Amino acid sequence: MATSKSDLKGYTTDFIKSDTDKAVFLGNPLMDDMMTALINLGAETWANRRRVKIIEMLFEKNGKISREMVEAYMPTPEQEKQMQVERDEFIRTAFGHFARGATDIVALSTLNPTSKK
Amino acid sequence: MTMLNRRTLFTSTAAAATIAQDTFLGRSAQAANRLDVEPRGTIGRLERLPRLDLESQHDFITGFRQFVNGEMTRAAEARINALLKAKGLDPASDLPIDTILEHTANDPVIANSARSWLSAQQLSWRTLRNEFHGNKDAYLSEMEAADKSGPGSLELNPGIELPDYTRHEIHIQPGGYVGDPFAGHSYLYGTNNFYTGRNNQDELHITLANVLPLPADGKVIRILEQGTSCGQLAVALKQRFPNAEVWGIDCGGPMVRFAHMRAADLGVEVHFAQRLAEDSKFPDNHFDIITNNIMFHEVSPEGIHAVLKESMRTLRPGGVYFPIDFFTGSPPSKTAFSKFRSWWDSRWNGEPWRLEYAAFDFNGAMLKAGFDVNENGPAARPGTKSNVMGTKRA
Repeated sequence: MATSKSDLKGYTTDFIKSDTDKAVFLGNPLMDDMMTALINLGAETWANRRRVKIIEMLFEKNGKISREMVEAYMPTPEQEKQMQVERDEFIRTAFGHFARGATDIVALSTLNPTSKK
Repeated sequence: MTMLNRRTLFTSTAAAATIAQDTFLGRSAQAANRLDVEPRGTIGRLERLPRLDLESQHDFITGFRQFVNGEMTRAAEARINALLKAKGLDPASDLPIDTILEHTANDPVIANSARSWLSAQQLSWRTLRNEFHGNKDAYLSEMEAADKSGPGSLELNPGIELPDYTRHEIHIQPGGYVGDPFAGHSYLYGTNNFYTGRNNQDELHITLANVLPLPADGKVIRILEQGTSCGQLAVALKQRFPNAEVWGIDCGGPMVRFAHMRAADLGVEVHFAQRLAEDSKFPDNHFDIITNNIMFHEVSPEGIHAVLKESMRTLRPGGVYFPIDFFTGSPPSKTAFSKFRSWWDSRWNGEPWRLEYAAFDFNGAMLKAGFDVNENGPAARPGTKSNVMGTKRA
């Protein structure tokens, strides 16, 4: 663990740095990085989908739109609820396989191509 | 056609316009007349995240956390239980953590649930940090403008000597509570995300404030929240007790700075100070109620004893001490999965004292500090039926 420098202007002081960014859970750091990249891409993809959705809603309502209108848009509670349903569907579509657990995983070694079953 | 990028949007709608009137809670006149960076307005108490893409990224992280906390966690728990049973071990028994890890830590289903949760946590912090540091000048100017405005007050002590336990990157928040000038900003939005949207309007803090027990004589003149972080409970306490003088203290300068700015924006008079809970500088017998929320599990065992001693000193005779944290309302779970999650949270999510706290005799420490201890105080945390409370003998 390392410490940082203080910054009086920001009223900060030295801190003790975590080593979590070095953690490897999946046996190979590249596998961990791949999972992290997938999650980050999920966030980027959802941000784009949500932006498109808002553009569509604004266009439908007003017929014309500007960047400022898109940035400032406040979905109605109903729209927010619908977008959350779509978000959760998107997450399950993209990541649902990771929640299947292990009980229904068939190991490759048990798949005998000569077997009739 | 003029291209509008993040920076121009930010500067044109926030830093230049600077004033955002908000009718919620009658935001203070002082706040309305000073620099207030909220380019996308507010929803109730919440200043919206300043860019649509950032808000959407956090919307994704909220949904993803729900997915990990739900389906992926259930899969991991089932896997831990199955692996231990296959070794002839009972996952409901109080197994040593080393035994649990020996048989489960390298399993891909369990490891991936941990990886996924952590990667989402890291993404949450990174996106917030990028935003606030990327627009550092505007956000620092906003805080500087708020430092000396009211309602309420702010005391910063940049020379304060901090014990080591306060200097860790708790929850792997970059810089922790003391080392990043935007620690308060990050904490607020990061925990909103952690609570998966259930606390965007301080709902959890308002609930806690409303269950706080009163001294037997009913007198509530001064209240202290220790470890106030960004001041949500202190604000809720002031709203419940409008005639009381409410203080929030925290070791983190950036935390109390943000807490003061937010409370002043909301028009709520709270006094925030950068002070240690174990060295609060308040007079003897000063407060009618002292409380804290999810603070003690971030404190070393030595620190807990010191905080309790200081609380006893500053509480007035007949006053109430009401700590709220894991295990102040229910004992730690002993199942293998719970123990694994606690270990993992401690090791990888920046909770250095979580395991020591779980093994700590907190009620015994309160007794040792001199409190009369009642284990059947009003329930505070969700899922609990009571909460420990201490009183100082009159």
